[in-house]
Amino acid sequence: MSTQTFFSLNGEKSLNPIISARGLWKSFPGVVALKDVSLDVLPGEIHAILGENGAGKSTLLKILYGIYVPDKGDLFFGGRKVVVTSPQDAVRNGLVLVSQVPQLIDSLTVAENLSLSLSQFGYVSSVRKVSKFLLEKGREYGVRVDPDIEVWKLSYTQKQLVEVLRALLLNAKVIAFDEATTLLPHAEKEKLYDFMKLFKSKGGSVLLVTHKIPEAMEVSDRITVLRRGEVVGTVRTSETTLDQVRYMMFGERLTQLNSGKYEKLGEKGSEVLVVRDLWVRSDYGVYAVKGVSFSVRKGEILGIAGVAGNGQLELIQALAGLRKSERGSIRLRINGNEIDVTNKGSTAIRRLGIGYIPDEPVKKGVSLDNSIEENIAVHPRLTRFLIRWGDVKSLATDLVREFSIVTPSTNAKAKVLSGGNLMKVLVARELTVSKVALVAYNPTRGLDEVSTRYVRRLIVSKAVSEGMCVVVASEDLDEIMEISDVIAVMNSGSFVGVFKSGVSREEVERVMVS
Amino acid sequence: MRLIVVKRVKTSNLYYVGIPVLSILAGLALSTLIFASIGVPPDLFISEILAGFQSPQTLRYFALLVILGVALTMSFRASIWNIGAEGQMIWGMLAGGYIALFVAAQSMYVSPSDLPNYANVPGVEIIDASPVKPVISVLLMDPSLGKLLMVLFGMLAGGLWALIPAVLKAYLDIDEVASTLILNYVAYQLFNHLVSYNLRGLSVQARQFFRTDRMNSALLFNLIPGTSVTVQEVLMAVIFFVSVVLMYRYTAVGLRLKIIGSNPQLLRSVGVDERRYILLAMFLSGMLAGAAGVSILANPGIGKLEKIANVVSPPTMNLGYTAILVSWLSILDLRFVPIYAYIVASLFQGSSLLQSEINSLFPELSLTGAALTYIPIGSILVVYVILRIFTEYSVRIMR
Ligand SMILES: Nc1ncnc2c1ncn2[C@@H]1O[C@H](COP(=O)(O)OP(=O)(O)O)[C@@H](O)[C@H]1O
Ligand SMILES: [Mg+2]
Repeated sequence: MSTQTFFSLNGEKSLNPIISARGLWKSFPGVVALKDVSLDVLPGEIHAILGENGAGKSTLLKILYGIYVPDKGDLFFGGRKVVVTSPQDAVRNGLVLVSQVPQLIDSLTVAENLSLSLSQFGYVSSVRKVSKFLLEKGREYGVRVDPDIEVWKLSYTQKQLVEVLRALLLNAKVIAFDEATTLLPHAEKEKLYDFMKLFKSKGGSVLLVTHKIPEAMEVSDRITVLRRGEVVGTVRTSETTLDQVRYMMFGERLTQLNSGKYEKLGEKGSEVLVVRDLWVRSDYGVYAVKGVSFSVRKGEILGIAGVAGNGQLELIQALAGLRKSERGSIRLRINGNEIDVTNKGSTAIRRLGIGYIPDEPVKKGVSLDNSIEENIAVHPRLTRFLIRWGDVKSLATDLVREFSIVTPSTNAKAKVLSGGNLMKVLVARELTVSKVALVAYNPTRGLDEVSTRYVRRLIVSKAVSEGMCVVVASEDLDEIMEISDVIAVMNSGSFVGVFKSGVSREEVERVMVS
Repeated sequence: MRLIVVKRVKTSNLYYVGIPVLSILAGLALSTLIFASIGVPPDLFISEILAGFQSPQTLRYFALLVILGVALTMSFRASIWNIGAEGQMIWGMLAGGYIALFVAAQSMYVSPSDLPNYANVPGVEIIDASPVKPVISVLLMDPSLGKLLMVLFGMLAGGLWALIPAVLKAYLDIDEVASTLILNYVAYQLFNHLVSYNLRGLSVQARQFFRTDRMNSALLFNLIPGTSVTVQEVLMAVIFFVSVVLMYRYTAVGLRLKIIGSNPQLLRSVGVDERRYILLAMFLSGMLAGAAGVSILANPGIGKLEKIANVVSPPTMNLGYTAILVSWLSILDLRFVPIYAYIVASLFQGSSLLQSEINSLFPELSLTGAALTYIPIGSILVVYVILRIFTEYSVRIMR
């Protein structure tokens, strides 16, 4: 390993580390998740742990937090060697974990939730006392959440803030975020970053786990890069560059990232998907899509940009047959036949060879209690009445290799995969079944850079080589700009601007918010 | 103050074996205490329960509980809590009974003077030799075909009955626990009505009591010598068990039935209408329960349908509820169903033996009915539920 080529700070003795891990090993059936990993967290620093999906970041945090026990290696908290076998132990030593999924009970209020979780950690505190404390801490750190509001009423960001407050109530000296910022919109991210800086200035430390390089570069003081379970190195953020970090993260695979250009065909074929004057209601009964019309040609990619919540989701769901269209029509032209699929239901639509990548992919697109093979075999286009498990296994094996899905085996339950790898399983399955068209919402959310590139490239190349037409809505404008032939901007349920690729980002952004 | 139940994050692997075994042991200990408290010596209790494990009668319950255990496991795995096997069995009996009494054979009056002429006619059986209005049963088809039709119609009826709560759940989001349970009582009532009027027999006994005629004995299933289990029900248990296991392992339908239990949203997103699979899971479950109903009816020890005098002791012997225990103890894993079906069948049989012992040894206890039979089964169920709650959830008090 090329550890020496990077400036390593692990030997630095100026400050005594508040948490120190030495020579951690951890294996799971089929994978070694951590190989001789060492890490120091200094007081008053924001320390990013960066690595692609499946690099072992969550495993490392779970060991620090007492959820997993390492096979080998030692942990030191405040210089003292400790054995951490439960989150309670970790909390007692000053470490609190905030995960990507808020661990809150929807039907309880914020204060009730926190009082409950304090009691789990052995601190007894009444709901009233917790409320008071919450308001105090909230004021001190500029994190305002109403203690008496029920959790189901909160947005995702607010729930994450509640988790942060929980850490404060538990007297955390170190707060660890496991991809907790990854799913936040940019403006909201800033709020958490501000909090982290404030927390740091008051002497606390932050462990920020992420697979996004910009996230790591933006707030951290130091970055430790993990690759395939090994520490590649620890660098000072101020002394490194994006390229260097990227090279540490991906190594030789970096060549796969080379250029942003995709092979595109100049001439597109005939129209395949024709949507006329489509009206679709949201869950709340109001029109979310208001008279949208467009057509997509064979091999063409239509990207739908827009601030989240302007009807993109409802439009995508209507195209996938999962939401009723009140008015208008959706037609497909396949091999010269025109088929009206308006309100024909998802079964009929998917049978025609339409792939679908849903929003909330982990919740809707895979089943965690089933194996990877089962998650593939479930698709009606991939299996007939009798399942040939031999064929499924070889397809699964191909997909695992092609998409470099990190998994112990194709028979492993989906829940042992890291989030990014789960997403890859889903994308791989859907691309396999997309013979005519692919309908997608945020197709690369949660994927690391290499996987993101890979998925985008696959979508584009499948469009080009097999004439698949694509409708993709994404909250990530870069994604839309990068892969679309035509960019439609959606605002309040309508297409407010339609551009050819090559349009400037500024112009698109201007229409998005107008 | 408020009580809150929180699902635990980690559940131990040990519990797949540990909890069922512990429930059985603790449930039996608890029933020993209950019986001791009403004056039944523990050694009597233990010896009768042990006798249950070796009784040839146990095999009958075993076969029925395998069929019902498989039936319920199929719906439970799809996260559909079918408590309605009782009603589905009842419909199996009714449909099977209709075929046996009106389609495959038919009862008729003959004049008393003609009766001797029928004594040795093949396919004709004298079922009431009353000197006034004798009744014979005439076979109308090959008896093997008749038996097959009984089973098929019984399964169909059980399946259709199960579709009612399935439709309510899939399309109207009505909880199936309540609806299947209520429908059991509806089925008992309909059963009583049909048996008392539409299916009521011609013979003297049938007219004195509310019941059907005896079935033509050519249509009864065949006992395995020395036991009370029939060849047909053993065959059904084997066929159903094997085919359901194979269905889960090798068919897309089986896989989807499994996946609705873990993530119905996945089915929806890949374009499979998950509601149809809710219907299917219940239909299959009801079909097997219907088959169990037919085998109870066609057992030579029964052979007729009788008005239910007391809902506590329906002709289903409450096996539709007992089978819930089999499925739960198996932790919804089909492979364990035969094992726990055997254990529960033995306890069930042991308890009935105990019941008759108690009735003859201690008549002063004057405990009637089947109540005692359910004490061991019920105790195990209670312990099981408590253990599951405490291993999967933790209860906290909030102030
Ligand atoms: N409980 C588990 N059982 C089996 N394998 C696991 C388990 N948890 C993680 N892994 C495997 O360990 C590797 C590292 O996973 P993880 O730490 O979640 O990665 P990251 O958080 O960096 O994306 C992956 O290959 C993953 O599949
Ligand atoms: Mg992770």
